[in-house]
Amino acid sequence: MTRRFESDVCIIGGGITAAMLAQKLRDLRPGLSIIVVEAGQTFFNLDSRMQLRERSIRYAENPWPGDFIADQAARGVISRTMAVGGSALHWGGTCNRFSEEDLRLKSMYGLHVDWPIEWPELEKFYCEAERRLGVSGEPSPLAEDRRSEPYPMPAMVMTHNLIELKRWAEQSGIPFWSTPQAKNTQPYDGRAQCIRCNTCAICPTGARYSPDFTFQRLLAGKNFTLHDRTLVRKLVLDDTRPVVGAAQAVNRDAPDDTIEYHAPLFVLASGYCWSPHLLLLSKCSRFPDGLANRSGLVGRYMCGHAFLSAQIESDAKIYPGMNEQHGLISRLYFRCKADAPFIRHDLRIWESAAGHEPRLRSAGGRLLLGDALLADWRERAKRGTARVRGYYDVHPDRDSRLTLDDASRNRWGDPMPSIEHKADAASEARRAFTHQHFQQLFQKLAQAGNGKILSTGAGNYWDHPAGGCRMGSDPAASVCDSYGQTHDHENLFVAGSPTLPNAGCTNGTLTFVALTLRSAERIAQRFRRPA
Amino acid sequence: MLAAVVLPSELGAAGLENAAAQFERWVRDYRPGAEMEHGYGFTRLRSKPPAPAPAYLRQLGELRLTGDIESDRAAVEAALAQADVTALPQAPDGRHVASDLLAFYFRSSAANDLCYRAHIGRDECRGLPGSDREPTRLEAK
Repeated sequence: MTRRFESDVCIIGGGITAAMLAQKLRDLRPGLSIIVVEAGQTFFNLDSRMQLRERSIRYAENPWPGDFIADQAARGVISRTMAVGGSALHWGGTCNRFSEEDLRLKSMYGLHVDWPIEWPELEKFYCEAERRLGVSGEPSPLAEDRRSEPYPMPAMVMTHNLIELKRWAEQSGIPFWSTPQAKNTQPYDGRAQCIRCNTCAICPTGARYSPDFTFQRLLAGKNFTLHDRTLVRKLVLDDTRPVVGAAQAVNRDAPDDTIEYHAPLFVLASGYCWSPHLLLLSKCSRFPDGLANRSGLVGRYMCGHAFLSAQIESDAKIYPGMNEQHGLISRLYFRCKADAPFIRHDLRIWESAAGHEPRLRSAGGRLLLGDALLADWRERAKRGTARVRGYYDVHPDRDSRLTLDDASRNRWGDPMPSIEHKADAASEARRAFTHQHFQQLFQKLAQAGNGKILSTGAGNYWDHPAGGCRMGSDPAASVCDSYGQTHDHENLFVAGSPTLPNAGCTNGTLTFVALTLRSAERIAQRFRRPA
Repeated sequence: MLAAVVLPSELGAAGLENAAAQFERWVRDYRPGAEMEHGYGFTRLRSKPPAPAPAYLRQLGELRLTGDIESDRAAVEAALAQADVTALPQAPDGRHVASDLLAFYFRSSAANDLCYRAHIGRDECRGLPGSDREPTRLEAK
C-alpha cells in the first residue's frame, strides 16, 4: 500500500534546523501547510527528564533512551542521535557567533573561499536566532564583535569558580567573559529559569532550549504535521522538469507500506550527514551522481574544526561541580592579521577537577582506603584546575568527503554514509605552527597565575561538523546558493549546517540557525502572503 | 562492616550506614541491559552489563570481615589485588564489591562536598542566586 501526503512545504529532518524553519514559516505564512518528516522517535517527555537525569548520573544510562536507530549508522559521525529534536536534544546550548573573517577567508587571507553573504546580513539573523532560541549572554568587549541588538537575556551568573578562573586567566593579558548559551537566566518564552542542575545534556526543567518545545507549540497550532519514525529514502524527480516531485519514505511501524510526500517545495534539514546522504541516494538517470550534484560537490568539503586542549593547575580556589556546564570564552584570536602567519581560534575555560580527583593509590603506590584516601584527596584538592580548549580554523579539502559505503547498509538495503575529513594543503602546512602557538598560549596562561600544565591533548576528530552541500554563487563550485536553494532544482532547498563552506573556529549551532532563518524568508517569498 | 573499612570515618556511624544503604539501593535499582549513553565524538552503542549483585554477595562472603579494622583492611587489600583493581573506577564496574563501594561513594556529589568541606551539591539542582559566592562551609563532624 502507498500512503500519500501533501503539503505546501515538506521538511525532511526533525532537528533544530527543521524546528526553526517551520516556526518562522508559520510566522511568515500562517496558512502554509508544513510536514516535518523525521526518521527517529519523538521525545515530548519533559515530565520524566528529572528521573532520566537521575539514572544518567547514577548509572550512566542513556538519558534519551531510544534516541538512535541501530542500523542507521554512519561512519565518522560524532553523534548517533536521530530523533525529533536531533542533536540539539542533548546540546550544551553554547551560542557563539562566527566572525566576519569566516566569511571572507579568500579575500582577506587568500585561503579557501568567501561566503556569498555579507556579514551585516548574517548578523541580523544572528540576532533573530538568539531571540528565537533564547540566548543569555554578555557582550564581547572587543569592538570587532559589535552587535546590533543586545542579548535577549542577561548572561548566566558566573560561579565563584569562574570568577576565580577569570581572575587567574586574565593575568595573562587575554580578556575572558561569559560564554553565551541558549539557557534561560530568567523565565523566557514560556520556559523556566535555569536552576543549575549541571546536566545540560538532559535539562530537566526546559531552561535550556530544545527543539521539542518548538515542535509541541507548532503541533498545537494549525497546518503543521510531524511524522516521526519515518525515514525518507529517496527524492524523486518530476517526470518532465528538474524539480523534486516526491519524497519516498518508509515508517518503522508499517514497514510494508510505501509513503510518498508531495509538495511544491522540499527542504532538506537533516544535518551535515544525512542531507548529502539523501541527495546521493537519490541518483537517477538524469542525475546519475545524485540530486543537486551537477557540480559533483555533494558530500565534498565536509568541514569542522580541530581542537587542542590543556588541563592547567593554578592557585585559583576552585570547588569542582558548581556549574561545569558554563565556561569562559575569549574571542581575541578570532582575528588574524593578513600579513601574519594564519591562525584563528577561540579560547575557552571551564572549571575542572583533573589532577585532583580521588585516587586509590598514592604517588608512591600505597593503597588508599577510607581516611587515607580522603586525606590524600584533600591535600591534592588545595589547588584548582582549569580545562582550557581552543577550536581552531581548518579548511576542508575537496576530498574531505561523505561517500556511500556499500559494505554497510540499513535494513532497507540503503548504503550508509561514511565521512572522512581531510584538511586542505594550506591547513596541513600550518599544523606545526598551530600546535606551537597553542603550547605557548597554554604556557602563558599557566605562568600568569603560578600555574602548571598538567596535560595537553589534541582532538582526533573535527567538532561541530558541517558542509557537504556548500553554498556559493557559482553553480560549478557549490551545491546551493546563499539561501540554500540548490542550483539544480528550483524547489529543493538545503538548510543549516550542510551549506557551510567552512566551520569557523567556534561552536556552529547559532550559525546553522541564523542561516536557516534567512532561508525561511526566501522560502516564504515563494508563497503568497495571507490576505 | 565493609563501609567502615573503605569509607572515611569522618562520616560517623550514621553516615557510614547511610552510604551503605544508598549503595544497596543502587544495587537494587540497577537495570541490566539498560541503554548506556552512546557518546560524542566517537560513538558506540552499549548496554549495562549483568547485575553485579550475585558477584557482590559471593565476594562479601569471601572477605570474611570480622569487625576488626586491621584484619578487615588486610582482607580488602588482598581481594582488590586479586581482582586486579589498581585504580579507583570511574563508576562501579562489577569487578569487586569493595572497589565498587569505593567508587560509588568517592565519585559522589556527597564525597565531593566532604573533600572540599563545602556545600557544592554537584549533582543537585541548586538555583542560580548565590552561585557567584564560595559555597557555604560544611560543619566539621
